[in-house]
Amino acid sequence: MSNTNLYRRTFLRGMGLSLGLPLLDAMAPRTARGGESNPGDTPVRMAFVFVPNGAIMQDWTPAATGSDYELSKTLSALADFQDDITVLTGLAQDNGRAKGDGPGDHARCASTFLTGAHPVKTDGTDIRVGVSVDQVAAAEIGHHTRLPSLELGIERGRNAGNCDSGYSCAYSSNISWKTATTPVAKEVHPRLVFERLFGAEDEADRSRAERDFYRKSILDLVANDAAQLQARLGQSDRRKIDEYFTSVRELEQRILRSEQSAAQARPSFSVPEEVPGELQEHIRLMYDLLVLAFRTDSTRVASFMVGNAGSNRSYRMVGVSEGHHELSHHGNEAEKMASIQKIDQFLADQFAYFLGQLKNTPDGERSLLDNLMILYGSGLGDANRHDHHNLPAVLAGRAAGTLSTGKHIKLEEETPMNNLFLSMLDRVGAEVAEIGDSSGRLSLLDA
Amino acid sequence: MDPTCTRWAVALITLLIGPTSRLLPTALADQPAIATHDVDFEDDVIPLLREYCFACHGPDEQTKGIGLHQYAAAQDLLDNRGVSEKVLQAIKFGRMPPAGEPRPTEPQRRMLSAWLESVLQAIDCSGPSDPGRVTIRRLNRNEYNNTIRDLVGIDIRPAEDFPSDDVGEGFDNIADVLSLSPLLLEKYMDAAERIAAQAIVVPHPDGGPRQRREHEALVVEGENKRNLEGDFWMYTSGSVAAHFEFPRAGTYLLRAIAGAQQAGPDLARLEFRLDGTAQKTIDVDAGPDEPQAYDLQLQVEQGQRKFTAAFVNDYYQPDDPDPANRDRNMMVRALEVIGPMDQPDSLPESHRRLIQASPEHAAELAAVAGENLAPFLRRAYRRDVADTEVATYVRLVEMAVEQGASFERGMQVALSAILVSPHFLFRIEQDPPPADPPDVRQLNDYELATRLSYFLWSSLPDDELFELARQGTLHEQGVLRDQVRRMLADDKSAALVENFAGQWLNLRNLDHMTPDPSQFADFDEALRRSMRRETQLLFETIMREDGSVLDFLDARYTFVDGRLAEHYGIPDVQGDEFRKITLDDDRRRGVLTHASVLMLTSNPTRTSPVKRGKWILENILGTPPPDPPPDVPELEQTQQVATQLSLKEQLAQHRDNESCAVCHREMDSFGLALENLDAFGRWRSEDGARQIDPTGELPDGTTISGPVELVELLMSRKPEFLRTLADRLLTYALGRGLEYYDLCALDRIDRELAANEYRFSVLVNEIVNSEPFRFRRGNGEK
Repeated sequence: MSNTNLYRRTFLRGMGLSLGLPLLDAMAPRTARGGESNPGDTPVRMAFVFVPNGAIMQDWTPAATGSDYELSKTLSALADFQDDITVLTGLAQDNGRAKGDGPGDHARCASTFLTGAHPVKTDGTDIRVGVSVDQVAAAEIGHHTRLPSLELGIERGRNAGNCDSGYSCAYSSNISWKTATTPVAKEVHPRLVFERLFGAEDEADRSRAERDFYRKSILDLVANDAAQLQARLGQSDRRKIDEYFTSVRELEQRILRSEQSAAQARPSFSVPEEVPGELQEHIRLMYDLLVLAFRTDSTRVASFMVGNAGSNRSYRMVGVSEGHHELSHHGNEAEKMASIQKIDQFLADQFAYFLGQLKNTPDGERSLLDNLMILYGSGLGDANRHDHHNLPAVLAGRAAGTLSTGKHIKLEEETPMNNLFLSMLDRVGAEVAEIGDSSGRLSLLDA
Repeated sequence: MDPTCTRWAVALITLLIGPTSRLLPTALADQPAIATHDVDFEDDVIPLLREYCFACHGPDEQTKGIGLHQYAAAQDLLDNRGVSEKVLQAIKFGRMPPAGEPRPTEPQRRMLSAWLESVLQAIDCSGPSDPGRVTIRRLNRNEYNNTIRDLVGIDIRPAEDFPSDDVGEGFDNIADVLSLSPLLLEKYMDAAERIAAQAIVVPHPDGGPRQRREHEALVVEGENKRNLEGDFWMYTSGSVAAHFEFPRAGTYLLRAIAGAQQAGPDLARLEFRLDGTAQKTIDVDAGPDEPQAYDLQLQVEQGQRKFTAAFVNDYYQPDDPDPANRDRNMMVRALEVIGPMDQPDSLPESHRRLIQASPEHAAELAAVAGENLAPFLRRAYRRDVADTEVATYVRLVEMAVEQGASFERGMQVALSAILVSPHFLFRIEQDPPPADPPDVRQLNDYELATRLSYFLWSSLPDDELFELARQGTLHEQGVLRDQVRRMLADDKSAALVENFAGQWLNLRNLDHMTPDPSQFADFDEALRRSMRRETQLLFETIMREDGSVLDFLDARYTFVDGRLAEHYGIPDVQGDEFRKITLDDDRRRGVLTHASVLMLTSNPTRTSPVKRGKWILENILGTPPPDPPPDVPELEQTQQVATQLSLKEQLAQHRDNESCAVCHREMDSFGLALENLDAFGRWRSEDGARQIDPTGELPDGTTISGPVELVELLMSRKPEFLRTLADRLLTYALGRGLEYYDLCALDRIDRELAANEYRFSVLVNEIVNSEPFRFRRGNGEK
């Protein structure tokens, strides 16, 4: 590749380009910056799984606390993994509350889930919340892997109408926010996830090298276009060009990283051409792809929206024909609550499938499950009351032995969810002083 | 009937909805529930501000820089609109004064809020008004697909694989909401390469792609044997064959790698056959240890074909005195097909469009590349381009050629680059330097052509629009009007049906509806498609025939195919073709009675009068109700004894609860009037064992019964419907949420509609001629 690099520079000079500083910075090999973890260590990875519409908390929360406790009805799905998980009770996302903004708890539930920031109530102009924990991690450790992070979902964003009480649909169909103003779109199509991870087909090295060579030249050219535009546009336009510029830079980095590492062989994995019609199959396929991404160290950070905020899906496979959101305003009616509990348990079952796959996948001397941590939960507690405290939350995995597991921990009421995030970020090597409304770390989790 | 009751409801809704409220017709905004014109700023407002606000926002202290004592006259509120809007929000939602401080009484607070709102919405339309400013707009998925189709000339809908575009203001083309994540840029890059590979045909350096079949891939006939290397030996007459794909009609090379053991007077011969038909016989002179390639160049049609090489002159004379001349045998190692070797006779349209000339020699390269790229770049960027801009892409072509690639490959790279450039992906309206001018300027004709074509076609301008823009005449009244007429008549305006109607009426959400199969076993995708098509056809007909937009509400005709007719119980309609039928009974009128709308406002198992009423408030009357407050369960869920009461009785009970009644009285009555139409849009008289009584009582005591009376009631509120439609279409056309200053444009549209029989073309023309559509303001502070 050295020839082509040389050529590329000549080419740039020939075009009389002056590159923006950020791009030059991006082209410096990140490994030269120091602060790398010992390559012999097995990396710690993190994932965040969001389920919509809260949960029936009386069936979710185990009765006893400590390490000698019995799993609740809903969480009994996770019985095989009781030693590998921690049930956390008492977490809150205070910024999901109205704070004078009126209705829209579902939109706020998704947008605060991983940010802990208060979303600006708007249907259009000035969409703004905060950077999400996964993206904070991706910015710090993303350069180790081909993809800085992976964002998955099951439901595409709604494509018409009003999502929630004057909030743009951006708030209810995304949980990952790259910046306070840019949500990270999620991928719902298993085949496209697979192709993103491992390429559309088995490419010969030669054609990959040729493509990447041209791609770099193209990206240089358009980055230059963007830089020139930047200077001549108004403020809100510049924000859009910033997004563009950041994305160009990220794609550049991805190409550089793939040049520095050997091509990832495509794992043998059968992925259907179309999105599966059955929900369970779809969810499990996405979990399989997450396992695959972690196993091949394609990324170390992932988020997964099992449903969009306020999802009104039916769950006929467990005998629930009514819509989930419609049911969640249950008015404490026993029959409706029982239906929602079935949904909660069904989703927990799928999560158990994920944990099983992780546990069966060796990673260094341990299993993948031992080396990562996954937060599974929702941004709403009791959806009937639209609670933003007492959120359902399970932390799975041992983060390479740094987490003490097998317990149900009852935290002080109103403990910011973001305190948990700080503790998780520490463990992946992305230490930050604060995030969103964090007020400290959760040392209770330490092994 | 006390008419103030209705106004109360409207006013309360307006009070609660806050930022999502549509701009009401001025006629309504002028007279909210509280008679705001009787309110005097000095006598009624200032005393309240002094008593409840001045402690923190007065002469002594200006918390957060807000000092309300500086407002001496109502005009001061308008001059400080930013602050005034904040004050309004704070009072409206009861955020201020904060808890614990003395607060005004509830009527005082409402009066203050309603008055402030009326002041801020009252706007002088006599002079030029603020046209607003549209952020640069990224192409959304539909626009991307259409633009590629019309720009490059290939219809492969690459955006199907893109992540969905977020929706704001009810649409997925809102500039501020359309973000660009790294994932999307990757998709743009992949798509650009795919498009380039398909649009431009690259000549193959060594004659074309090669397909080779050997060993097990060869089919043998006759007494033949495979040796250890996998080669075929034919000892008597026999053949080997294999199937090959010929991707298109063209010149191919058919090749056998063969050698022979000779005997007798002739050389061993192979006959080449294609699909069993002999093409040529070839003498094989190579020995079996050094097999050679034997070729036949042939014109072949596209398709999968069987290529056979047959040994046709076996020779066996065991008595020949010369042992070396006793046995003639043929050995075939492999069959190959190479090609297509020629450029296709008819290069695809996209290729001819992009490569109108090819360089004869190296010295011409830059000039020819530029010649090809400049016109394409103008269309891709939707504006004139500078020579230096063309030059950067020419350099890409040169670079590829210097790397040893063909000219066509270089053009592919340049095309890929153009398709990921911000100038292509974003619709940019570049203000003249210096940046951020506060001035208002009229759009240039290229910008106007672009707004127009993305509004009506969701695609880039065509040659005619570009030509008018180049001449600088597009903005002229007559020209513009003719173009709008031409564009609406063009097939490409189907995009307005799909993208505007699909979102205004929420039709697109029909795909996500999952009706309960136990309730309606016959539901299938075909019916879903027919439902959607019915509503699209109504919109399309009004658009193409320039009908009255009021037909959306009360059309006495509709469109059905056999499937939908059966569903509706309409006899004598068969087949897949839609036809127009007259609605002469009292069951259906207009879009509210379409199965599509009825299904997407139902729950999976049953109807929801509340959802239907809400849909009408949002999409027909333009006054979306707020969500129920938290911890108040939704209307239909309060009844523990649900099974014994009809839905109607349950709703009635709920309306006894004052906090719910405010919105629900009207909303439920609308929905109840549609109860004869079930969750799938079928007519019914009973719900289970109960007879349906489709009667609802409005807040003013009027009753409506059945769909036709509902539609008549809504027709009596025509101004609200027209305002909603204009608001929605203007939002869609501009790609931004509407602001107070757009009120003048909306009022004008309403007036012109009323004066011109509510014709659809008037609506579109007025939008296209409006200030927000034709002008833009810089980003500087006003």
